Amino acid sequence: MTNDIQRHATLLKASARAAKNITTILDPYELLQRTVDIICDEFGFYYAGVFFLDDAKQYAVLKAGRGEAGREMINAGHKLAVGGNSMIGASIANRQGRIALDVGAEAVFFENPHLPKTRSEMALPLIVGEDIIGAVTVQSTEEAAFHDEDIAALQTMADQLAIAIQNSNLHRQAERRSRLLKAANRVGKEVTSILDIEQLLSQTVNIICESYGLYYAGVFLLDSAGEYAVLRSGYGKAGKAMVADGHKLKVGTDSMIGACIAMNEARIALDVGEERVHFKNPHLPHTRSEMALPLVYGGRALGAVTIQSSEERAFSEDDITTLLTMAEHLAVAINNAHLVDELKEAHSEILRNKVFEALTTASTEAIHWIGNKTLPISLTIARLREEIAEGKVDLESLKEDLDMIAESAAQITQVKEQLIGAVREQRPRAVLFADVLQTAAHQRDFSADALKVKIDPAVAYVIADSTQLTRAVGNILQNAAEAGAKSVTVSVHPTEERGVLEIDIEDDGSGMDEDVMQKAWSPFFSTRGVEHHGLGLPAAMHVVSQAQGRIALVSEKGKGTTVAFFMPRGHANDEAIEAGSVKNILLIDDNDDWANLFAKSLKDTKVKLTQSTDLKKFADADLVLVDEHIASVSLTDVLSALSKAGLTSKTVILTAAINPERVTQFLRDGVKDVTVKPYSGSEISELLK
Amino acid sequence: MTTVLLVDDEKLILRSLEKTLLRAGFDVITASDCKSGSEIFAQNSETVNIAVLDLNMPSFDGTPKTGAGLDLLADLKQQKSSLPVVILTAYDEVTKAKDAVSGGASAFFVKGREQGLVELIQKILNV
Repeated sequence: MTNDIQRHATLLKASARAAKNITTILDPYELLQRTVDIICDEFGFYYAGVFFLDDAKQYAVLKAGRGEAGREMINAGHKLAVGGNSMIGASIANRQGRIALDVGAEAVFFENPHLPKTRSEMALPLIVGEDIIGAVTVQSTEEAAFHDEDIAALQTMADQLAIAIQNSNLHRQAERRSRLLKAANRVGKEVTSILDIEQLLSQTVNIICESYGLYYAGVFLLDSAGEYAVLRSGYGKAGKAMVADGHKLKVGTDSMIGACIAMNEARIALDVGEERVHFKNPHLPHTRSEMALPLVYGGRALGAVTIQSSEERAFSEDDITTLLTMAEHLAVAINNAHLVDELKEAHSEILRNKVFEALTTASTEAIHWIGNKTLPISLTIARLREEIAEGKVDLESLKEDLDMIAESAAQITQVKEQLIGAVREQRPRAVLFADVLQTAAHQRDFSADALKVKIDPAVAYVIADSTQLTRAVGNILQNAAEAGAKSVTVSVHPTEERGVLEIDIEDDGSGMDEDVMQKAWSPFFSTRGVEHHGLGLPAAMHVVSQAQGRIALVSEKGKGTTVAFFMPRGHANDEAIEAGSVKNILLIDDNDDWANLFAKSLKDTKVKLTQSTDLKKFADADLVLVDEHIASVSLTDVLSALSKAGLTSKTVILTAAINPERVTQFLRDGVKDVTVKPYSGSEISELLK
Repeated sequence: MTTVLLVDDEKLILRSLEKTLLRAGFDVITASDCKSGSEIFAQNSETVNIAVLDLNMPSFDGTPKTGAGLDLLADLKQQKSSLPVVILTAYDEVTKAKDAVSGGASAFFVKGREQGLVELIQKILNV
């Protein structure tokens, strides 16, 4: 008797210790496994196992078992019918603990091949409140190891275990639910502002899988016929492979996605219970549960989302509510992205039409222009041939005919120049814009009185090729003059964009209406009649683009036109001048911005600079610099005076816009060199070498 | 003597056509836009036997206009409904040709076959 009391007391103590340990475990797998180990270790039993009821409550399925025997039985899917012959089945059916002993009159034959040494067994139901969730089996190698009064002691522990299991389930559910809500929120917050449909969908599947820790998510969108749901984005490698394969599912009842779209309701499939679904997608071998959510906007089905888990029973009806909200947000975002796509498509169609229109205008104008320019040549030649054949050549008429041929040819050559100009090699550097403007005006015979210049000293330099920029500015000035402008205002000022300055060339000429303004960029388009090739503006645009700038045009019929160049801003370079052997420089130039810059640069050197436009008397000099474009005197006069004074061989002609034909001409005249104007200390040093 | 009124804004074409027509034995009066074409014709309506008009040239307000020649055609026909008119163009354009015919033009002539122009004028005038 004393022995029995002692044994019972030990059992009670062990039961209390086991219960205390069990209740602290929240992870469900760890909880069950540790429980069977604790029971065996504390009580010294041969074996313990935990069974859970299945959804249909027909079978008790083994979820944890001690040792190798336990693992093997779990893998074999060991389960026992509720209310059947087994101890576990009976204990669940009767909601009572039971004992079976291999002794006495009611001897039980233990025949489980995994547990050959069992001689006694106790089964204890797991009950929480009114619900029975499973049972625990405890087995001993001793005959008659359990007494009836032991049931109460061990049932206390089983009750604790049942509560722990429920806590663990609740905890797991709460955690899952919170992650699910978080994922739904993130989708709502992060994706609804994405307007690119591909990015929107891929971001959505990433957020769902990563925040929720899910195995897979994919978004299907309906095709235009509404016949198939086409996978547009899928998580991970599997998703990419399926999208690449063109994975699609027919709308209807054959698939979860198809049915969810057809019936406009969320669906859940689980790989458990009697109605288990066979998941057979080879790309997703680990799927055990799937949920499909319809994507609906304004009553119209857009597609569906599939969410898959490698866990059995991963989704509940409650999850549907949470995820449906997310699906609604997603549907709105998809609809928005669709709208943006439609807008983009409409926009690019307009653009295509505009480009086609511009090309048509350009080629029509080009055909017209070329036809008109070449015609006088062929016409005149044909007539001359006849006149020669008939021996009736009139010299005066012949001279006129040759002039006509020459003039037509010259006009064609001029077009070639404009076209080539834009593709010539560029030498971008910091260029003094005032000098470029002055050169352009001089080249195009644009009256200095009609030109008002306002250059903010902070943006006096622009990064460009001075020759090309002079051509572009000249084209705009010429357009202004041909539009009958009485005055042109050129202003240069900084812009809000870092490193960018704006050059505005504003005229008070005849201006353009909307239609002409749109065609103005087309080559060969001109409103000024047949003498014009219409290449001025397109060539200027090309030059400005090559200098990494952009050009804009504002015009109003009868008011005038403003052309704006947005160009990279340059900076003055004050590097010290190395004068070399040069001691006396004579500069023949007006007192303009460039002459001032040059004089200032030489101030700290030993070079003596004399600046003059007086051609009657020249100061002594070992280098004569002549600006190609001087407003007050003609270059021909300057060169002839220098020649008379014997200074030609010491003369270097400087120009903002260098032209190979003029270079050849000046060199033939015997000047020392012709070069682009220096705008920085290092360029001046280079010149003085 | 047959007199041709020739209106074209391309001065080299105007001059070379003029010379071709003079050489073929016509008298030629020239103008370079709609306005001057109309005025010159008004002063010479009795002597001008046929008008040859460019299709695209400055209109009556002086601005270049596609199809301005058709405006001058209407103007000349109003001044003298029996006047034969040939419209000149740089490229084949069926719709413009149809417009020209419906405006009363005797022919629509694509530039580049000028010798044909002389023959065409002779054919229209039966000379």
